[in-house]
Amino acid sequence: MAGQSNLQLSVFSAAEVEFLAEDEQIDIVPNVRMDTLHMICGDYGPFRPQIPVKVPLWLAIALKKRSKCRIQPPDWMTVEKLTQVLEDEREAPREFQPLPFHYVEISRLLFDHAREDISDPYLVRSLLEDIRDVRFHKVESGLENLSAKTHAVKLKNLAAMEVNIVRPFIVRALQCFYKHDSEELVKQSASEVESQAVSSDRVPRRTLRPR
Amino acid sequence: MAKGRGLGGGGGKGVVMRDAETGNAASERGDGNCCIAWDTQDKHLIFSTSRSTLFIQFWPLSSSFSPTDIRRLSHHRSAITGLAVSPSGNSIASCSLDHSVKLFSYPEGDFQSNVTRFTLPIHCVAFSVTGSMLAAAGEDDGIKLISTIDSSIIRVFKGHNAPVVSLAFDPNNEFLGSSGSDGTIMCWSLSSGKRVHTIYHAAPNTDLNNMCRNGIAWHPKGDVLAVPGRKNGVDVVMYDRDTGEKVFSLKGGHSATVGVLMWSPNGKYLATAAGDNQVILWDADNRQDIDSQKFEAQICSLAWKHKGNALAVIDAYGKFGVWEPVVPSHMVLPNDDLMQPSAIDREELLHFTDDEERDGSEDDTNLSGPDRELDGSPVAARRVHKHKDAVEHVTLKKSSILEKNGLQPQNKHMHDLDGVFTTVPTMQSAFQPCSTKPNSGTRYFLTYNLIGCITSCQNEGLSHVEVEFHDTGRGVRVPAMTDYFGFSMAAMNESGSVFASPKKGEKSPSTILYRPFSSWASNSEWSMRFPAEEEVRAVALGSGWVAAATTSNYLRIFSEGGLQVAVLSLEGPIVTMVGHQELLAVATHAALPFTCGQQIIKFMVLNLNERVITMEGCLPLSPGSYLTWLGFSEAGKLSFYDSKGILRLQNKQYGGCWIPIFCSSKEVKGEDESIWMVGLNDMQIMCVICKYPNKEPQVSPKPILSIFKPVFPLAHSDLGAEDLENEFIIKSLHLAQMTDETAHPIDDEDQEEEILKLEADLDRCILRLIAAACKGDKLVKVVELTKKLTLDKSWKGAIKLVSAMKLPALAERLSSMYEERMNRESYQDQEPFVSHTLQNSQVLNPVPHSDLNPVYHQPASVAAVPKPASMVVREIDCNTQKAENSESKANVSLSKQKVASMEEKSAKAVSKNAITDMSTEQNSMKPKEDVNPSNTVQAEAVQRANNPFAKSVSNPFAKPPATADSQSAMSLLDSLKRMKNSENESKGRGRPNKSAKHS
Repeated sequence: MAGQSNLQLSVFSAAEVEFLAEDEQIDIVPNVRMDTLHMICGDYGPFRPQIPVKVPLWLAIALKKRSKCRIQPPDWMTVEKLTQVLEDEREAPREFQPLPFHYVEISRLLFDHAREDISDPYLVRSLLEDIRDVRFHKVESGLENLSAKTHAVKLKNLAAMEVNIVRPFIVRALQCFYKHDSEELVKQSASEVESQAVSSDRVPRRTLRPR
Repeated sequence: MAKGRGLGGGGGKGVVMRDAETGNAASERGDGNCCIAWDTQDKHLIFSTSRSTLFIQFWPLSSSFSPTDIRRLSHHRSAITGLAVSPSGNSIASCSLDHSVKLFSYPEGDFQSNVTRFTLPIHCVAFSVTGSMLAAAGEDDGIKLISTIDSSIIRVFKGHNAPVVSLAFDPNNEFLGSSGSDGTIMCWSLSSGKRVHTIYHAAPNTDLNNMCRNGIAWHPKGDVLAVPGRKNGVDVVMYDRDTGEKVFSLKGGHSATVGVLMWSPNGKYLATAAGDNQVILWDADNRQDIDSQKFEAQICSLAWKHKGNALAVIDAYGKFGVWEPVVPSHMVLPNDDLMQPSAIDREELLHFTDDEERDGSEDDTNLSGPDRELDGSPVAARRVHKHKDAVEHVTLKKSSILEKNGLQPQNKHMHDLDGVFTTVPTMQSAFQPCSTKPNSGTRYFLTYNLIGCITSCQNEGLSHVEVEFHDTGRGVRVPAMTDYFGFSMAAMNESGSVFASPKKGEKSPSTILYRPFSSWASNSEWSMRFPAEEEVRAVALGSGWVAAATTSNYLRIFSEGGLQVAVLSLEGPIVTMVGHQELLAVATHAALPFTCGQQIIKFMVLNLNERVITMEGCLPLSPGSYLTWLGFSEAGKLSFYDSKGILRLQNKQYGGCWIPIFCSSKEVKGEDESIWMVGLNDMQIMCVICKYPNKEPQVSPKPILSIFKPVFPLAHSDLGAEDLENEFIIKSLHLAQMTDETAHPIDDEDQEEEILKLEADLDRCILRLIAAACKGDKLVKVVELTKKLTLDKSWKGAIKLVSAMKLPALAERLSSMYEERMNRESYQDQEPFVSHTLQNSQVLNPVPHSDLNPVYHQPASVAAVPKPASMVVREIDCNTQKAENSESKANVSLSKQKVASMEEKSAKAVSKNAITDMSTEQNSMKPKEDVNPSNTVQAEAVQRANNPFAKSVSNPFAKPPATADSQSAMSLLDSLKRMKNSENESKGRGRPNKSAKHS
């Protein structure tokens, strides 16, 4: 794939994206009684055995490592939901099915740390991989449509990891198209173009933030 | 009249097809829009051909076919595509390609109303089982659910991507099935409007010109939905009502895809019509085709006669006929209900069909065939003899069916003409709260509560019992136990578990076993064996006691160590019991249940430490329900849950009435979820949500508790703020409980803070209600609500709110109410100490709180109250000292004062005591000024005595600076604490001893 071939161009590394994904909320079922935890990012708890509570993924994993809770896999991580998504994904070649922004990272983290809490882990995993492949393929085939007339690419429901991979390529490609398209820019000195390119490298960062 | 004659299928009987439009030869090929139906009395056939006319045809046809026998309703402007007869038989609905659904009265046939209009042609219409709703759909996007009463649209179900060609209401009135021309079947919940099931590619693909209409039909019991099969060779597929999965299919009858299908009234037979011009009759139980009938053209509508062995059919050309008898005489009749068979009914029906067969015109004058047969005419008697063989055959078959269904043999004789039996409801059997039904092979819960669970698994006579705590950090690990007794009941709390087994033959009597989780002694578990005639039915345990209720109506109470403390007699058979600390709640049957099935259960709550009955009475179960759960809330309040899903809590207010605090049907998301109660505390209800078909949780995966908030079944007010009203009731109830509990000793600082917080919460809720009431222009309600405010800050907030809502008159009213309240409060509180308060208000008010609203200052009227002469002297003595004392105390006792203002009575009582204290205190106070640091005992006395005193003066202090009403209770508390701290600090410098006392 275009973006994957050159990893240095990714603005975030995969680990960084995963780090961001750890802020997503997830349900856990604690098996200990614990008071509210006061964290910088907010208060979580109180924890009572057998009563589900929402915490960020990093906290869930930390508790899970100490075997103080069970993690409840999110709704979309069930075999039937994923089967449905995969089917829809295959049926609609032009659009992406709505999945959580960090679905790749969340599922990865859960498989790493809370495998026993997932029902049907093998099937879920293979479904997720299939979905990811189908979606990457869509992205790839969609990129082929980039042409000189493309001013913007609209990719709805694209997930963080997917965006991260194609971002450098798309941005560069669009820039190039733009540059070659307008005669003025071609005439401009190389240094100007370079400086522009550097500044526009920052653009994706800004667009990512609001999420 | 007969224009065509169907070729005899299996039985060699032909079906005479008649053309409805006499003299008007239907030459063009029918487009498959013809429909047919029986009226509810089976008097008339209602049908439509591919034209815009609706026919009501007298049936059976008289020998001289007179034009009066047929009625034409030509209101539609285009071809009628569907018709439906309401279950009451009073109206007919028809839908048409002219985009309208029309309602006609029946039997008059008058046009009543245009029920609805669509933007595109409509293809199907159906009445709900109750007749209160009508569903119509077609090429429009969405199925409309319309109320037949006022023609209002109740819901629109959207989801089909293709025109909807068939609709079917579930006989249980929960679901609506719909099929699209693309073969998609959807099932909708009528109550929630949500889509329950979607089955893609279930039925064949049809286009609208095709006569194949993807007709679907619910089994009369509602357990399966019959759908035409898509695959080659599969004629009909049955889908399960709840799971939407395939149950079974009927195969190998038709050579083309099935277009329409209809269940016989008893659900035993299914008639299908397909593109191969055949109608096939299936035996659904045996999944076999019984008979078939070949027609000249494709049959596009079928209708079973409600009472009789006949099937009306109409073909694509608009020719109709009645296949009669459909079901061969040796088989169960299509309208014969298997559950209530009766020999005589069957015989009569047999004769009836016989009559029809022989001379169809005989019944022309006699509209109600079966009634006539009841007369027992000699003709009928003669035929009994003739068909003796057949009758015998049928009765034989029927008795075998009866055996199969496990019916009592006497029911066979006890027949009722209407087929209705009055059943005597039985008393529910004893159960253990929070237990699930035993299931051999799989693990089940003996008990599951908020502390932990006890599970058991029966395996080859032995069971394996495990005890598990939810909190794994508890340290105690209870070893699993092999159970030789076969325990079927258990209860547990923090300290131990009790098990009980029923009697098993002569050799093993009923036994209970107590196992403490931790004990200083080594062998501290004990067991008890009961006399042979006695069997344990329920067990419970609490702090230091174990109780068992037996079949002899004894309640046996044991101590923790196994001492038999008491044997009490119960008033009736035990239903269940539960323990909580020293309380034991016992539910017993008081009488036979009501005929609706509602159990009559008495309860009593025993305090085993004090050996008294604290409460007793009847459990107010919902109509027709039985008890499913009994338990104590964490605060020790008794509550119970019934089979209708209502949780009730006993309340001290209103003389110990039960209040319904939760209704499961309003909380669950779908029809297929049910709630299994586990426990509750003041503000939360903890339960397990079970998905159908499970009504009870499974042991693995371990059930997760769901939390619900209490919801009162409030009526819908015109204000529309039910959520707020609900919150208001919950909070005021909670507050009442809190203050009630703390009525006697109010010495817990945390509790006071909590009360204050709760009051602030409640006030905030009331303020929002006030805002809603202002919007709705309900001024009286505003005044009422304002009176319920407790905090002065909220009063001010309310006034501000009202003036912001531009209701100056109301604002004025509220301000005057507020002033009045202030006067009264200060008067009531301060009357005994008028002199002090006067002093204090004069001395203190201007100094630390000069920024206060003038309203807070002591009103002149209070100041004018004459001082008791005796007080005046003291007043001078205490003057300076009080200024300091009260300053520091006021804040400490602020919350106490709040409580007091809430419960004026108790406050008064306290203040009265305070007067007496006061006089003594005044004496001690004077020397204290000098000797103070040395005399700590005295100082404490001063403090205690000062509380009520502070109460009276704290009013000015209690008022925090005027803030926006949105300020939270926490901030209020915080500011108070800050004030207190700073004061303490300043005092600490001056008088170290005193500050130590306060901190």
